Amino acid sequence: MKRYDVLVVGAGPAGLSAAVEAARLGLRVAVYDENARPGGQLFKQIHKFFGSREHKAKIRGNKIGEELLQEAAAAGVEVMLNAAVIGVFAEKEVAVRVNEQILCRQADALIIATGASENMVNFPGWTLPGVLGAGAAQTMMNLHGVKPGERILLLGSGNVGLVVSYQLLQAGCAVVAVVDALPRIGGYGVHAAKIARCGVPFYTSHTIVRAEGVNQVTGAVIGELDKDRKIIPGSEKHLAVDTICLAVGLSPLSLLCALAGCAMEDNPAKSGYVPLVNRYGETSVAGIFAAGDVSGIEEASAAMIEGRIAGLAAAQRLGFLTQEDLDARVAVQERALASLRQGMFAPGSRGQTFTATTEGCPLSQNLLRQGYLTDTELSAYPGVVWAEGLHPIIECTQNIPCNPCRDACPKQCITVGATAGQITALPIFDAQKGCTGCGLCVAACSGQAIFLVDEEAGEITLPYEFLPLPQKGEQGLALGRSGQEICAAEVVDVKTAKVFDQTNLLTIRVPVQYARQARFFRRAP
Amino acid sequence: MMLERGDIGGYIPAPDDDLLVCRCEEISQGEIRRAIHDGLFTLTELRRFLRTGMGLCQGQTCGRLVKAIVAKELGVSPAELEPITARSPVRPVEMRVLARNQEQKNG
Repeated sequence: MKRYDVLVVGAGPAGLSAAVEAARLGLRVAVYDENARPGGQLFKQIHKFFGSREHKAKIRGNKIGEELLQEAAAAGVEVMLNAAVIGVFAEKEVAVRVNEQILCRQADALIIATGASENMVNFPGWTLPGVLGAGAAQTMMNLHGVKPGERILLLGSGNVGLVVSYQLLQAGCAVVAVVDALPRIGGYGVHAAKIARCGVPFYTSHTIVRAEGVNQVTGAVIGELDKDRKIIPGSEKHLAVDTICLAVGLSPLSLLCALAGCAMEDNPAKSGYVPLVNRYGETSVAGIFAAGDVSGIEEASAAMIEGRIAGLAAAQRLGFLTQEDLDARVAVQERALASLRQGMFAPGSRGQTFTATTEGCPLSQNLLRQGYLTDTELSAYPGVVWAEGLHPIIECTQNIPCNPCRDACPKQCITVGATAGQITALPIFDAQKGCTGCGLCVAACSGQAIFLVDEEAGEITLPYEFLPLPQKGEQGLALGRSGQEICAAEVVDVKTAKVFDQTNLLTIRVPVQYARQARFFRRAP
Repeated sequence: MMLERGDIGGYIPAPDDDLLVCRCEEISQGEIRRAIHDGLFTLTELRRFLRTGMGLCQGQTCGRLVKAIVAKELGVSPAELEPITARSPVRPVEMRVLARNQEQKNG
């Protein structure tokens, strides 16, 4: 039987990170993945990641995936694709199905990084073609270049629902509604604002009553929920859609852990049935580790760190690293993980309702319900300083772990938190530092929440990621934060640079009185 | 769980009982509810009796939905239910592949 030092199940962010760490220390590592392509979900995450530089913030997920694969290849990791692990047996023996064969492999340490699967909800018509998971829609668009539909209803306003909605818009689909049963939008406000200003309406406290159609979805009926989550009679609303995307959460794919005899728990805080792990990600079975979504649903950035920790711990177990070395290295990773797990969206904040930021700024209730900030709410935040001349307006209003804007500014005009580790503080703009209007912060902001505004000239520079790119001199309409048309606009500049990483900077000119409101450009039909 | 058949009362039809829950095996909410009231209180028993979650997707789609129905009928939280048994193969494998594998082992 072929043997490895470490066998990793799953070539996603956690699995690849684990493999790289272990292989770099000289271990013989193989990664098995049932998919035809490596990277897990990374290659369809075409948006810029949040976090800090150490978490690969402002880099797009697909790029992070490429980097991880290069690191794995350079470290000598063997990645086997179309290889489904179908069983784990005593002595860390693993059965892998490859084509028509079942191969048996053994390893001294096993790292299970099988990720998660999408949750579904059922309603009348849910089995019609046209109802699909948001992740599936993302696979169709971003991996296979296929539009999932033309007119989309998206159920679920967590970050997955919001990010997929935005990507559907990028693919040229119309997002007719984002519906959530909860009274507030679940994901980051900046993700919601990004689609609200394109004209996508949010229906919070709503649910799908039924999907309509005979051979495929031809429409949907939604209804408003009362406090007991019952549909309010007469609130039903018909929407003309051909596709319904479900973004209602993920469940850990942890069956292999249970099969391996790991102690398990059903923990709603971790989104389901997960193995119990210690600080190294080691399960109750010595030498079997779990990393990433399989041990609790979180962002890919957290999965990569958990993977690194498990890879290091596996190396220590096999004698490639002393306990002292391990603890020193893990401490670094734990600090990175702790800085990601801060703020109002952190795993530890689930179920809490916030009314103000840690700075004491009131949270925009409109952002939570409708997905956009109102003009009056805006001035309460430290990133919004109405100065003379060209300057950024940072519409970042929730404590989320993210600070690329700070690093992007060559003049240090933007600060995020008093210390480097404090990355959930709201960005503060200092007009005295001499902003040059370079726009690097606009392109760097993963939430696309920064705009350069010159009130006297009526010019707004906004991040723009749609194709085809508008041309200089083009006439169109300026949309407000809510997506409403507010005035005519002319494109006066379009900047594209490698450092912007495909976020183009579009400068539009509007009548001066609209400079504080105009936040998106709609091309003339 | 020390519940016995009859403890949760008899099956009362609900208006949405014809809603499909397990797509792969085409099992409705009503069939699941009826089976629970007939005394099948665990996910494993339901899998054996109705084949919920035994199809191509192996319960990846309906697992949570079935669990929620059982929990609701028994009046407990889904997290309190005994989890399904993990058994190899955890991914669907055609009999052909398994048989050939055995031949190779023997031969």
